[in-house]
This record gives sequence, C-alpha cells and structure tokens, in this order.
Amino acid sequence: MPRAKFIPSVDPFLLCLIGVVVAASLLPVRGGAADAVDIIANLAIALLFFLHGAKLSRAAIVQGIGNWRLHAMVFASTYVLFPLTGLASAALVQAWLNPVLVSGVLFLTLLPSTVQSSIAFTAVARGNVAAAVCSASLSNLAGIALTPLLVGLLMHTTGSTSGFDWQAVRGIVQQLLLPFLAGHFLRPVIGGFIDRNKKILTPVDRGSILLVVYSAFSAAVVNGIWDMLDLKDLGALVALSGVILAVIMVVNLMAAKAAGLPREDAIVLLFCGSKKSLVSGVPMAGALFAPAQVGMVLLPVMIFHQLQLFVCAWLAGRYARSAPPETEALDTALPPADAPRSDTPENAIAFAAEAAPAAAMPELATPAAVTTEPKATSSSGAQVPRTSDEIATAAAARGLTIPEECEPGLRENLAVLAGHAERLRG
Amino acid sequence: MSAILQIAERVRSGQESATAIVERTLAALPQADAGLNAVTRLLPERALHEAALVDDIVAAGGDPGPLAGVPYGVKDLFDVEGLPTTAGSLLYADAPPAPADADAVVRLREAGAILVATLNMDEFAYGFATVNATHGTTRNPHDRTRLAGGSSGGCAAAVAAGALPFALGSDTNGSIRVPASLTGTYGLKPSHGDLPLGGTFPFADSFDDIGPFARDLTGLAIVWEVLSGRTTRLDPGELRVGRLGGRFRENADPFQLAAIDAIAPDAPFVDLPEIARARSAAFLITAYEGGMLHCDALARDPLAFDPAVRDRLLAGALLPEVLYREAQAFRAAYKAQVSALIAEFDVLLAPAAPCVAPLVKDPNILIDGARAPARSDLGIHTQPITFTGLPALAVPLYRPGQLPLGLQLVGRLHGEVELFRFAAMLEAQGIAGSWQPEGAASVDQQGALA
Repeated sequence: MPRAKFIPSVDPFLLCLIGVVVAASLLPVRGGAADAVDIIANLAIALLFFLHGAKLSRAAIVQGIGNWRLHAMVFASTYVLFPLTGLASAALVQAWLNPVLVSGVLFLTLLPSTVQSSIAFTAVARGNVAAAVCSASLSNLAGIALTPLLVGLLMHTTGSTSGFDWQAVRGIVQQLLLPFLAGHFLRPVIGGFIDRNKKILTPVDRGSILLVVYSAFSAAVVNGIWDMLDLKDLGALVALSGVILAVIMVVNLMAAKAAGLPREDAIVLLFCGSKKSLVSGVPMAGALFAPAQVGMVLLPVMIFHQLQLFVCAWLAGRYARSAPPETEALDTALPPADAPRSDTPENAIAFAAEAAPAAAMPELATPAAVTTEPKATSSSGAQVPRTSDEIATAAAARGLTIPEECEPGLRENLAVLAGHAERLRG
Repeated sequence: MSAILQIAERVRSGQESATAIVERTLAALPQADAGLNAVTRLLPERALHEAALVDDIVAAGGDPGPLAGVPYGVKDLFDVEGLPTTAGSLLYADAPPAPADADAVVRLREAGAILVATLNMDEFAYGFATVNATHGTTRNPHDRTRLAGGSSGGCAAAVAAGALPFALGSDTNGSIRVPASLTGTYGLKPSHGDLPLGGTFPFADSFDDIGPFARDLTGLAIVWEVLSGRTTRLDPGELRVGRLGGRFRENADPFQLAAIDAIAPDAPFVDLPEIARARSAAFLITAYEGGMLHCDALARDPLAFDPAVRDRLLAGALLPEVLYREAQAFRAAYKAQVSALIAEFDVLLAPAAPCVAPLVKDPNILIDGARAPARSDLGIHTQPITFTGLPALAVPLYRPGQLPLGLQLVGRLHGEVELFRFAAMLEAQGIAGSWQPEGAASVDQQGALA
C-alpha cells in the first residue's frame, strides 16, 4: 500500500466517453437490441442512484450545516443564478442554434452540483473543506427532486424544448429517487461494505454512465444527430459553456465580496456554486427526455462538464499559490490514503490536474473519510464506542469482527480515545 | 568535520573509492548492529552497484553529487526497488516488490548517496518505542537496556551508534524527533509536505512527513538540501527567539528547561493555546486515518497484526467519522491561530521528548505524575507541533556521559533555514552536539571512514 507517486495522466474517463460517442456513431444499437440496451441502461441507472444514496453521508451534511449563509448562497447559485443564466442564454441563441441543443444548455443549468470535484478543488485552493462537503452534498441531494421540478417548470413553459414530458417526473421518482432513498436508508447496513469496496464499485458507476451515453447516442445517431449538427454548432456550444461559466464565477466572486465572506468561504462559493454534475445529468436526461433527444441534450452537459474541470483545476492552482501561510490549515482535503499529496503549493497544481480526471465522473465517490461512518452510538452519533453493544455495532458498520483476544487492548485504546474526544470537545 | 561531508569530499576528489567505503560499511554494519537491532535488511548487491556507478562518474572526471559515496539507510517504509515495502509488518513481508525507489531515495541516489540498509520501526509507524513483533526491539546505543524511541528507532540507533552517517525516517507525530532526542542525534521534521512522500507507506496522511537523521548538523543540512532542492546556510545571525511556555514547561526534564532558559534567558514565553486539546485532536485524527487505512486488512485477518499496533488500529477504525471531522475542523482553525501567534518569531524552543530513554523492561514514562505507556506518550511535546504543520529540528543537548536529551527548534512554515542557523549557533557554543556512545562501533573507527 505504498503511497502513490504523482504521474501526469490524461483523463481516462473523458477518453472513454469520447470512445463511446464514436462507437455509437459508427455502430449504433438499433431495433430489438436497442430495447434490450435501454432496459439494461435503466437498471444500471437505478443501481447508480442506489449506490449514490448509500454513499452520501448525512453526518457530513449535519456536521457542516451551521454555515447557513454560505450554503444558501451556494444553493442560490446552483438553483437560481444558473437557471436564470440558462434562460437568458437560451433566449439569446434559440434563433440560430438547434432547439434540442438549446434545451440541453438550459437543462445543464438546472442540474445539481457535483460532490467530489467541488470538494477536491476547494481543498486544493485551501478553502473551507468542511463547508464544501456540506454545501456540495446538500445541493446534490436536493437536485434529485429540484432538477426534475425545474425542468418541468422552466423547460415546459419556455417552449425551448419539445419532447419533455411532465409525466416523466414520475419516471424519475421511480427510477432515481426511490433507488436513491433505498440506498441512503440502507446505508447503516451496507455503507461499510460500499466504503470499503469503492475500487470494485467504481467500474459499476462508470459503466452505467457509459452504457447510458452509448444508448442515448445510438438513438440520436439513428435519428440523424450528425446530420443535424456541424462543427459550428459544437463551437457555439463550447463558447456558450464558457460564457455561462464565466458569468456564474464572476457573479459568485462579486457576491462573496459583497457579503464579506472570508477567503475560505468565498472559495467554497466559487467552486461549489459553479459545478454541474454529469453523473446526475446523464440519468436524469435519460428519464426526462425522449430517447431520440437524450444524446443531443447531453452534449452541452458533457462539454460544460469538461470545461468546468479544466477551468477550476487552473483556478484552484492559482488560489493555492496565492494562499497565505495560515490558510494552509485547510490541507484537510481528505484525499484517499493513497491519493497524491495536495497539501503543498507545489503539489497543488499536480493534484488539481489529477483531480480533474478523477472528478470527471466519480462525484458519487465522495472521499473515503467523508462517507465512512460507524453506526450512531449515542443520540449524537459521535461518541467513541465503549460498551459491548456499541463496539459490536461500530465494528459491524466497518465490516470488522473483533476477536476475543483483541478485546482488552481494544477497550483500553477506546478508553484513551474517549479521553481525547472529551478533551477535544472541552 | 562532518562525517558526511568528509566522505563525499574524499570520493569526489578521488582520494578513496565509493566502493571501498561501501564495502567497509557493509562489513562493519553487522557488528555495529549486534545488540542494537536497528537493521532489518542489508543491501550489499544494490549498494555495491550504486557505489560502482559513483566511481565510474569520478573516473570519467564528473561530479557524482554532494553526497558522493555516503552510505545511508532508510526506515522500512520507503520503497526500495525490487524489495517488498513492509512498513515493519509481517503482513507485507511477501508483498510484491516495489517497482521503483521512493522519490526521496531517487533524489539521494542522484546526489551520489549509497543505500546500504533498511531499518527497524514500530509496525506501520504506530508508536514511539520501536518495539516490533517481527524484528524485535531496537535498543539505545547509549544504554542498551533502554529504548531508542520510535517509530524511526532503527534510523536513530544506527546513526547514533555511528553505524551509518545518516538515515531517512518518517515523522507523523514525532517519530523523528522523539528517537533523535532519546539517542542524541539531529533529526528534522520538515514543514508539512515539503519533502517528497511519493513511494512511502502512509500512516496518517494529515501528518505524514519524511526527514533525515545525522550526528552532525552540517551533514543533516546537506541531506536536507538534496531532498528539498533548497539551500541553507549555517552562519550566525539575528534571529527572533521565543520559548514555548505552558504545557511545554510541564512534563520535561529539568535539564531541558535549564538549557532552554540558558540559551535564551530574555526570550519571551509564547503560550500556544489549547495544547492539550490540539494533542487530543492529533491523536484522534491519527487514530482514525490509521484505522481507516488498515480497515480492510483488519477485517481480513486482525490477528496477523502486531498485537500492540492492532488494538490501536482497531480502536481508530471504530471512531465515528463525525468526531474525526470535528478534530479536523479544530485543526484548521488552530493552525491559522498558531501561525498568526508565532509570526514574529524565527525559532521557538521546546523539549523534544519529555524525558530520557525509558527502560526496555519498563516502557512507561511519567505524564502529570502518572505512569503512561512510552509507546503512545513520548510524543507529548512533538504531537502539538505536528498538528500545526510547522517544521521542527530536534537537536541533542551536548552532555557526554549522560543519557541524551533533545530540544525541538520550531520554526515558521518553510522556515527550516533559520532553524539550521540557530542550531549551528548552539553547536558552536557547545550547547548542542552528538557524542559517541561508549563501546559503539563508529563510522570513524571502523565504518565508512576507517
């Protein structure tokens, strides 16, 4: 388990996504096979959201909820500022851009924020990581309900799309919300297993997304997406994504200044408030839009997602370099134990560069330390386990069995840790 | 003169070959290590190959680097190409061999240093004692009935005994400074994250650092320059000095306190706030991160661990995440507070370990008048410093004939140069310095420089 060395890498998931789009363009699945792939994709989405629910730590949200003003600002950025920018953009370009792409642009502005990349960039930039965990998790959680609602309200009424079906919201509840809630409420039982087996589960996450993208693009290709689109459209999408991102970031920076947010919190607003989740967006589009349109609706999401990662990686590096020494306090990025070091200015860029590919997909995979949580052992759920029952419960949550010969030493050490916990809490 | 500098100069000038030096070191090491238990693996084939490469460069008229031909050892948690990285545990004895050297080892190799041995440690670096179930307890060269301290005890003992000119260890909560203090050597814990950690076995990511041990300050400074890519100087100068007060004045040997007061009688006392709370937070973060790191292995086969380490790791793995996050939040605020508080000082003086080396047969120390296990409590003064991420240089108080005691010179973030300069001044005044343990084989007598 030696610590990993920094090796410059290309975003492998981005390459996979491009590969799948190319594959769907050359070999689109059709007819009966397409139906089968659809069913598998739907099941994969349900599994994806089940895992998403199981991984989300309620404790992390509760822990950082005190900074309500910051969370409100992040929330407003994600679900008010972004949609308004989306509506304005759609109004500006609908005269000359393909209407389904316009829908895609609006759709992307309604999506929830990412979790992992928001936290990773905040950490690299020496921002308030604890608040970022809470803000990003809250936004992601709320998006399960809010995004379909906003899609229903805004996209239906603006006339910027044809093909969205309000009844599809029912589909999203069945396909996304229910598995998500099931996973989340089963977290006390399966959370430990999921946290310990991230390496196995990551391919499931990524595989689900790739399958949905393949299915969506196959349908889009069969319906002639590449006949309807040209390089000019793609260029326009990149430019539009850049404009939207710039507007959001500038407004957030100004808002942070106006509100007098400290540097660490302003970083949270900047990074958490400017992210849109590909992982949430892909299955939601699958559930909300007609199959033939999903591929094209997703194009803006995919482009924006990559753009935000590149820009944020660069920005986070700049913030890290300009951080005053005392803000180095926030090297509590909680990276996985074998992740590259990110806690020096020199390494920050390297980590940011790596965070981008890592964040290209696994917003689901919140950092290990954020998601692992033994079962509550008291009313507050934050006490060191001391009694036999508490120890057994905490051990089960971690998938541990305590051999008899370990018990005296374990109890002795837990007593020491309980003393330290008491001292920490004053 | 610095043994490290002397060896390098002789090799660079062609007075002596690196191969001859390495052959002598390899021949002397087993005898020097007899009864110490500092060395876990000798690497003769690799060492002689590296030495031959250095000699080839000299023969071709080139310069192999500032550490040309200087033999050294690494704690058992550094990747050494072709060998399993065991972190002192039987669990990893048959791990796949490391595909490449750790980054720090690469830097030292590129500077001409020759890796000759891996060195003993507490399993997974979890302890201040170097009591290892697989390799045994490392003894203190100054009194072999006593502990060498840990977790980098093998490094400290090998260097203190004069068996190696320098060694590379790691410090998560004091694992360089505690054994340096107990064995009378210099040891540096750098600013957090300053020295390359790539290819080292982690313990607690929030605090892990690597750093060198040496018997002389000049040599230590050269090794640090190679590892950090920065330069230092050892000339005296105006430095702003403070004495850490409060908890740092308790649980310390009177000799340490008298030395601090003699070194800087007029320096103001600086009271870091909530030291006990900071240490507790460090304890909890370390326990949690260590526990989570080994959770899978503990789930598979807990009994394969060293019992003393296993129970600590198990306890850490059962800590609630919420508590861990509370400790991290406290740490973030604390670091900012301390940085502001010490901004006007270049060097702060504090004890390193709280006492002389405890006896192997009674590995306990007194903390607040009560007996406490040395394995967990020798770091009482180092842990709060680690918590802040600040650099700290352990310097041995010069007192031949007595058991070693050390001080910590704590600096501002990235302020290592000031620490070296202040330590050089203490060395020049005869306050700090290493001395040869009685009966120990030395580099000068029969090792690298014979």
